[in-house]
Amino acid sequence: MEIKTVDLTKIYSVGSSTITAVDKVSFEVNEARFIAIVGPSGSGKSTLLNLVGLNDYPTLGKVFIDNADASLLSNSKRRKIRLFRMGFVFQTFNLLPTLTALENVELPMSLADKPPKKQREKALGLLETVGLGKRLFHRPKELSMGEMQRVAIARALANNPEIIIADEPTGELDSKTSKEIIALLFDINRKEKATVVVATHDEKVVDVADAIYSIQDGNLRLESQR
Amino acid sequence: MCIIGVALATTFAVAVGAATMRYTTVIKEMNVLFSGQIMVVSKDAIVIQAIPIGGGMLPQNYTEKRIQNVTGAEKIVPILFVTPLGIGQIIQPVPVNFSMGIPVEYWQLILGPTPLRGKAGHFPTNESSNEVVVGPSLADQYNWTVGLPITVMGHELEIVGILDTKLALLSRCVLMPLRLAQELYNYRDSINIITVKPIQGFSQKNLTDTMENQLPYINALTEDERNDMIQPVLAQVETWNTGIQTVIFLMSLILVMTVTVMSVSERRRDFATLDAMGAPLSYVFRVVIFETSLIGVLGGILGIAFGSLAALVLASLYTNIPLAMFFPTFYEIIPPFYMLEIFLAVVFVCCLGGIIPAINATRMRIAEVLRAEY
Repeated sequence: MEIKTVDLTKIYSVGSSTITAVDKVSFEVNEARFIAIVGPSGSGKSTLLNLVGLNDYPTLGKVFIDNADASLLSNSKRRKIRLFRMGFVFQTFNLLPTLTALENVELPMSLADKPPKKQREKALGLLETVGLGKRLFHRPKELSMGEMQRVAIARALANNPEIIIADEPTGELDSKTSKEIIALLFDINRKEKATVVVATHDEKVVDVADAIYSIQDGNLRLESQR
Repeated sequence: MCIIGVALATTFAVAVGAATMRYTTVIKEMNVLFSGQIMVVSKDAIVIQAIPIGGGMLPQNYTEKRIQNVTGAEKIVPILFVTPLGIGQIIQPVPVNFSMGIPVEYWQLILGPTPLRGKAGHFPTNESSNEVVVGPSLADQYNWTVGLPITVMGHELEIVGILDTKLALLSRCVLMPLRLAQELYNYRDSINIITVKPIQGFSQKNLTDTMENQLPYINALTEDERNDMIQPVLAQVETWNTGIQTVIFLMSLILVMTVTVMSVSERRRDFATLDAMGAPLSYVFRVVIFETSLIGVLGGILGIAFGSLAALVLASLYTNIPLAMFFPTFYEIIPPFYMLEIFLAVVFVCCLGGIIPAINATRMRIAEVLRAEY
């Protein structure tokens, strides 16, 4: 999957004033790349990822998915792209609290109407891959933060997405766990050939990324590229 | 909390509905007794179907003879109808126990083919001075059996039969020959009802008009007139019942809606996550509706169970009949169809209550919700 943005702008109105969270951002995300977007809190990282991940609509500018203008897509098509072609990892994991680790991973496959047997097999395999083969039936509150993020990553991989969008995936984790999560995402990028876009201010992500962008006051700049 | 709320509302709906149904059923049953006949009572008596409430007594011989002379009157049956509180007093519309004195030759005319329980015993004869038959509910309550002596108004009577009937009115009745009833209650030559069967093809209305012209102290009512008298009462009871049920269901609707709106609001992040993962809108909608339906199912089952019990307790308190005696007639007091009706209504109302919260859940702006949660 190739994603391209052209003059992407998002302006929020707060009372009588406006905030430009993303300011005329144009960049491309090529297949199987590991991209890091770094910047301080409030710089516009999450807003940019939400726009790229079709979770939000830009105020100005466009997002192209495989050269198709996303703004012209129906709500249902945007949902289908998110479900079948994208995987999301959030800073606060966003696991459904009433479901077990296994059920959380099965959920995207269930939404995609995959047969229950295949859902179970795939979820078991993914949880094994992220090292949680023995925590299948634990609910999120019974897991550590690192384990929850692993479940979230397994969930993001459930429908074999072409791109994983991770918003501060190590933001809530200690240094050791952060390293493990970054290694896991890197592994997925290299082995599964899935594009990974990570918004972070974690230096360790920067070390493994193919391209590093910085964002400040909504302005994106390419810092380095391998 | 929501389930308990719905259960309480359902309890109330079932109890009120069952009590109302029982009341209206008993009232409607009464008309079976004097179907096709004219009922003559004293001018100042109020008549609810077959029961005269209040009013004075009628002199039996004089009134009977005068009516016999009216053209069109075929069979004339004098009846003494006595409630525990006595003639002339306003009592509850449906008496709990009562005595009825009928000339023995007319019993079948009034009671129809009502048999005796277990085919044991017999109906009193003209010669009997102390023989009575009793309703099955009274017999069960007081463990009365055929051959047992009972004391009424200081007189020793003998039970010679137990009626085998499901009619609420007859099941709480002590039936005896008219003469015995008059002696027992000290109403010699007095009665409070005369039923008149018109000659076939003769207009009931003409007959009642003639009787009332000749006997200014009587009120002669055709079956239609009796129905007309009770219809507004029944309609009012039904209206009140419908009104109460509507209010109850509206309260349930508001309760379910409020609680679910709060619940959806508390789980904004979960719904936004589902949205972000690409869950179809119909899926999110179904999740919320399923939850509210489940509230309806659980609340409905609990409510119907408690409501049925409450209806029995109410019936017991109202009639002073022991609670245990209502269990065999449980499905008559709360018919299964009525339970199903209430259950479906509760589930429907809860589904309805889930619609607005479900729409809210599908309309979340993912980016805003997820950002706000950090």
